[in-house]
Amino acid sequence: MAFRKRNVALARSPAESPATESPSSPASHPVPAPPSPGTRPSPIDGRPTTSTGSPSLDCILAGHAGLPLGNSILIGESGTTDYAGALLRFYAAEGVVQGHRVHVVGMGEVWGRELPGIAEEKDKRREGKERAEKMKIAWRYEGLGAHGSSRERGAVGSPATSTGDAVGEAAVFCHTFDLARRLSLPVGSAIDYIPIPRTAGSPFVEILKNLQKQIAKSPPSSIHRLVIPSLMSPALYPPGASHPAAVLPFLHGLRALLRSYPTRLTAVMTLPLTLYPRSSGVVRWMEILSDGVFELSPFPYSHMESLATSAGTTKDEERPQGMFAVHKLPVFHERGGGGSTEGLGEDLAFTLSRRKFVVAKFSLPPLEGDTEAQGAAVREATGNAMPRKQDLEF
Amino acid sequence: MPPTSRIPPLLQPFARTPKNESLLLLTSTLDASANWLLTRFLCDALGSGQKDNDNGEAKNVVLVSWMRDYDFWRQEARKGTGIDLGGLRTQGRFAFVDGLSGLFLPADEDTADQQRAQKLPAAQPGGPATRGPQPLPVRGPPGRTAPATATAQAAPRAPASLPGLYALSSISLDQMKTTIAAAIASLRPPTAATRTLVVLDNPDILLASVPGLTAAALTSFFLDLHTQTSVSHVLVHLQSDLALLANAEKPSPLQIAQQNLVVKTAHMSAKVLSVRVLDTGVARDVSGVLRVTVNRESWADIATVGEGGAVQAPEEVGSEVLYKINGDGSVRVFERGAELAV
Repeated sequence: MAFRKRNVALARSPAESPATESPSSPASHPVPAPPSPGTRPSPIDGRPTTSTGSPSLDCILAGHAGLPLGNSILIGESGTTDYAGALLRFYAAEGVVQGHRVHVVGMGEVWGRELPGIAEEKDKRREGKERAEKMKIAWRYEGLGAHGSSRERGAVGSPATSTGDAVGEAAVFCHTFDLARRLSLPVGSAIDYIPIPRTAGSPFVEILKNLQKQIAKSPPSSIHRLVIPSLMSPALYPPGASHPAAVLPFLHGLRALLRSYPTRLTAVMTLPLTLYPRSSGVVRWMEILSDGVFELSPFPYSHMESLATSAGTTKDEERPQGMFAVHKLPVFHERGGGGSTEGLGEDLAFTLSRRKFVVAKFSLPPLEGDTEAQGAAVREATGNAMPRKQDLEF
Repeated sequence: MPPTSRIPPLLQPFARTPKNESLLLLTSTLDASANWLLTRFLCDALGSGQKDNDNGEAKNVVLVSWMRDYDFWRQEARKGTGIDLGGLRTQGRFAFVDGLSGLFLPADEDTADQQRAQKLPAAQPGGPATRGPQPLPVRGPPGRTAPATATAQAAPRAPASLPGLYALSSISLDQMKTTIAAAIASLRPPTAATRTLVVLDNPDILLASVPGLTAAALTSFFLDLHTQTSVSHVLVHLQSDLALLANAEKPSPLQIAQQNLVVKTAHMSAKVLSVRVLDTGVARDVSGVLRVTVNRESWADIATVGEGGAVQAPEEVGSEVLYKINGDGSVRVFERGAELAV
């Protein structure tokens, strides 16, 4: 085949029979190693990412459509609610379903038994409708994921099993979980519970050592997830744990551990912001040492009625339950940042329902009788979010 | 400017070390990191063949990073500025001191033994180039986390099997100094023209996490490094978040120490570069603001102005520009108000 026409696109050896093709194809097309279950390359730079278990959160992570491996996320939450805990549970449950090793610091087996199970599929009609909608999107952009898309790709076509076997669903990147169901853990206890030692010194040294040992003795292809609920909370940690000389070396060591396993380890931590406000120096250092920083500020319950009628409500969604602030994104901010990602600097609100944690744009509704603003809200709802430039120049 | 340079012309005066030996300060905040500017400094100092660069020849560089690993810097430098740190390392022009991997991570006995068993056969024949993508091994005896035992330990500065890669495994400043000095000494022997630039990336994490370390000890650590004979410039990167400075009515000791460190270093520095986000919020086409302040009071180079030719070079005047990091790692720098032009 030396005289192949140059202006014809190369087909995959059209003249040859499949029998002769199969031995030659590995040589000519070096197939990359298949990604581990639950990971996929980032559409931006190809680094392996894994799902946080919440598709909406995956979409926020600076276009990587997942949490890049070797990175950590710190989620701060003010008030007494536990929305961040739900995010942690989704993250841990996703890890269990994908066959990753999940390490939980400071929680007992009860926590692991209460992980949400995989949601059952909705009726076929809705799925068919969604398929029809998806046809409009070019398939290569579909992988990027729309910001704030209400339903994730993973649910479509996933067998509705509540068991945790990941054999038939290796292609599913992010599952839908149902907080009302319980995940039946696979045999062999996929979750490793790291206790907080009740010693006089810093408890973190032991935790870090424990984690390091677990990862070192695991097979080299295994992927690990570290879950740290309510870091430095006095209910879990000894009094000295909140001292900068205790917690900052821990996070620095964790950062070193994440960097030394750049394709095997991710971590998500939550932090009670009411006890440790963001304006304090320790928390700022913790944020600098983490790769991604989010903040949840739930609305007070009694004011919910008056605040909650956002633009999201008109689009048959639940009323938002709080504000979601993005302070730092993995990889993106480390490289210098830039205003060109979605979600940064915008007012975001989150809604936690049984099946999903949705982050969407937040806006107050227009006043009654303000027809101009109502028209603008309708326009925004139809997708034309940003006003054009000539509208702004006067 | 040479057409091969990856540094935009407007940025060049900022990412250039002054002619005289000096200490430089670079500050950044949580949402505006300065890593891109540090790689530009590396590029400008290491970049060879820039004959119109009035610094004379290219410099040797020692990068000490307490927050980021070598792979990150290697990739960023290649992507953003097109310099090959690995190649420069084997040439003996660049050395990296890793302050992240072994500083607080307790080296596990079993894993350390395993690592040694794995690494030793590769390390002894001296074939370093084959093991490029591997993470930096933790070398030497296991790092101690308790400061009392760490100070009593002998300096673990065994030369790396990979040339130009060093690791800090102790939190004592003296041992860090000896490790960094070993890294400086390992570089290509300096001539009169080639000097060494030492970049310290986030040494303030030590101040926050090591009990008993004072800001004064850290600033004298900077000065000690600067007084090494072959070192001409020391660039210090510190965090200057408002939450880290003593702005509250009841500042914590952490905030007071950080404020002391930043203010002291700023007064010692000949040039202060600060990177921050826009005060007015997030914009799509602006990543942040880069501000340069030249410390002229202490820097009495009035006599040398005449020989330099330009009386008021643009970098001599403090100024402020906006920057935008593009997806491919390149950076665009522009004046305020010019952002609509492109």
